[in-house]
Amino acid sequence: MATYRYSKSQELFRRAAGVIPGGIYGHFSPAPLVPPSAYPFYTARAEGSRFWDVDGNVFIDYMCAYGPMVMGYGAAHVEEAAAAQRRLGDSTTGAAPVMVELAELLVDIMPAADWAFFAKNGADVTNFAVMIARDATGRDKIVMIDGGYHGTAGWMQAPGHHGVSEEDQRHVVRIPWNDVPAFEAVLDQYPGDVAGFIATPYHIPTFADSQMPADGYWEKIQALCRRHNVVLIVDDIRHGFRLDMAGSSAYFGFTPDLTCLCKAMANGYPISALVGCEALKSTAARVFHTGSYWFQAVPMAAARANLVKMGEINAPQVMLTRGALLLDAMVNIARGYGYELKVTGVPSMPYVRITNDESLMLHQDWCAECTRRGAYFTPHHNWFISAAHTDADIQRTLEIVDEAFKAVRAKYGSAFQS
Amino acid sequence: MIESLVKANLNLYAVLRNLPLLVKSDPVAAKTVAQWRIGIQFVVWRGPAATLVFEDGTCVFERGRHGNTEVVFGFITPAHFNRMMDGKGTPVPLKGFRHLGFMRNEFPKIADRLAFFLKPTDAKLADPHYLAVNTRLTLATAVFAARELALFDPTCRQVAGRIRDGAVLLKILPDGPSAHLIFEGGEVTAGLGDVQRPMARIDFRDQATANAFLNGRLDPFTAIASGEVAIRGQTPMIDNLSLIFDRIPGYLG
Repeated sequence: MATYRYSKSQELFRRAAGVIPGGIYGHFSPAPLVPPSAYPFYTARAEGSRFWDVDGNVFIDYMCAYGPMVMGYGAAHVEEAAAAQRRLGDSTTGAAPVMVELAELLVDIMPAADWAFFAKNGADVTNFAVMIARDATGRDKIVMIDGGYHGTAGWMQAPGHHGVSEEDQRHVVRIPWNDVPAFEAVLDQYPGDVAGFIATPYHIPTFADSQMPADGYWEKIQALCRRHNVVLIVDDIRHGFRLDMAGSSAYFGFTPDLTCLCKAMANGYPISALVGCEALKSTAARVFHTGSYWFQAVPMAAARANLVKMGEINAPQVMLTRGALLLDAMVNIARGYGYELKVTGVPSMPYVRITNDESLMLHQDWCAECTRRGAYFTPHHNWFISAAHTDADIQRTLEIVDEAFKAVRAKYGSAFQS
Repeated sequence: MIESLVKANLNLYAVLRNLPLLVKSDPVAAKTVAQWRIGIQFVVWRGPAATLVFEDGTCVFERGRHGNTEVVFGFITPAHFNRMMDGKGTPVPLKGFRHLGFMRNEFPKIADRLAFFLKPTDAKLADPHYLAVNTRLTLATAVFAARELALFDPTCRQVAGRIRDGAVLLKILPDGPSAHLIFEGGEVTAGLGDVQRPMARIDFRDQATANAFLNGRLDPFTAIASGEVAIRGQTPMIDNLSLIFDRIPGYLG
């Protein structure tokens, strides 16, 4: 099996480094891809479950643009709806009717939604949710999970990060995941001053296994929030519509006050949403929060068409099933080579790690070998399965996985084998 | 107050402690101390203390007060010590008055040599010997300073709290020099040389790359993406360690 080279990616990156901070910044930065030389940096085009880099290499995409691609790149139902709306207008003076239709759709499919508010990125709505919680309660403190990610604003980042002041962190209290007594302790420590609790439906720290909620966790958190009038915020930006079309809270059986949505909404079109309960609707109306492109109609039309189609085929179930098919087979292949492949999280967005080497160097090498052969695997982040991944994709991926294990075994010999 | 104490720790345990490495790396420094036979203690009231011993052309640095040295220098506050390190203050000789001449005339020669190598300019770095010594000293300063910051700087303590147990190796390819930090149970140990089975590692392609990286002249993200600097292993350890490294110039810049 031939392995890829990336001379054009590297050449473009050298140009980029001259005019763009870090060359490629943020979560697309090549820095966490180990080694970066095994990965493409620039995409020329994408279709279905695959993308082609600027060197002409093709990849089965298991990052799905870090989440937004959910029904396949260029999915016809989305592109047709977007094109139709584009012909009518996109960024215009006055909101488009499709905004109302999209809000009605979200209220219809999500039990936790009595209203919907639209923005562009996940952090737009996590910020808004926190502002609403503070305004509704007249309190300051926000409780979040240690290692949780809700965007890049000062309050969201861990202490010590560049550009983050102590003041940014002053009203943020971090507690461990799955630790109800820790939340109770915070409520005791700051009586009448906790405005909101924000967490993802299950915990997805980078470079670490995903952690599901313990039995009764969300039920207890919800009960404590209700008892202490704390606004319960679920950051469903990454998980949303990959577990359940009714929202991940429905999957886990609880009802948040506010739910933040983004990635899977519009199959790549830029839109996010905050949905919430009736009791917070008037607060949401009076907290001023807006952006230049937040009323763009094309992404709303794309989102509406996408969510309808996802509902029709029960896309979360499709992704969960295909993910399980792929992952179960990968685990078996790994075992055949003496490696233990640990899968955490749900199969539609799994975190995968070879456990034989605690330093992750073996795992990083294996991900790199897979990517060099056309299955795009990152070593540090959960992967994403889309509804566009086909049986043929899975079969091809398994062949690549097998070859990659062969390559790392040749490199490491019997070291790390269980 | 705490900032002054942390800076004093850095000055003593990360900067002045480079003297043995300087003597090993630089013939001029080695020649300067070749005939010295003297022990000096630096004692900061409610602050760090260290012992330097020059003997038979070698220099040994130890944290704390050790042995009955010929000279003891006292500093009434960490800020007092920091002023001396900035060349703006003088220590209080608690012992060794008959060595005042040495301290006034001889010791500054090695201190100045250290300062020379720790303050690079483009012109100085064009000299291969300077580049080599500056790189060695800067690498050592980085790991020893990171240890102090991880334990004593309030923000860095929070950052270090997120670093899992294990060793992080920093190595200049192909053959070194190298340095490491070991995090274990809330303790942090810094050292020079390789370490077996590091949990994470930063490999610099060559000396010039390491020098530019360590002196803040190379954007880390670009350097990593382009392969000039390679990171492997538990990269969250490196991410967090970088946040600590980035605070060193705030104290010593």
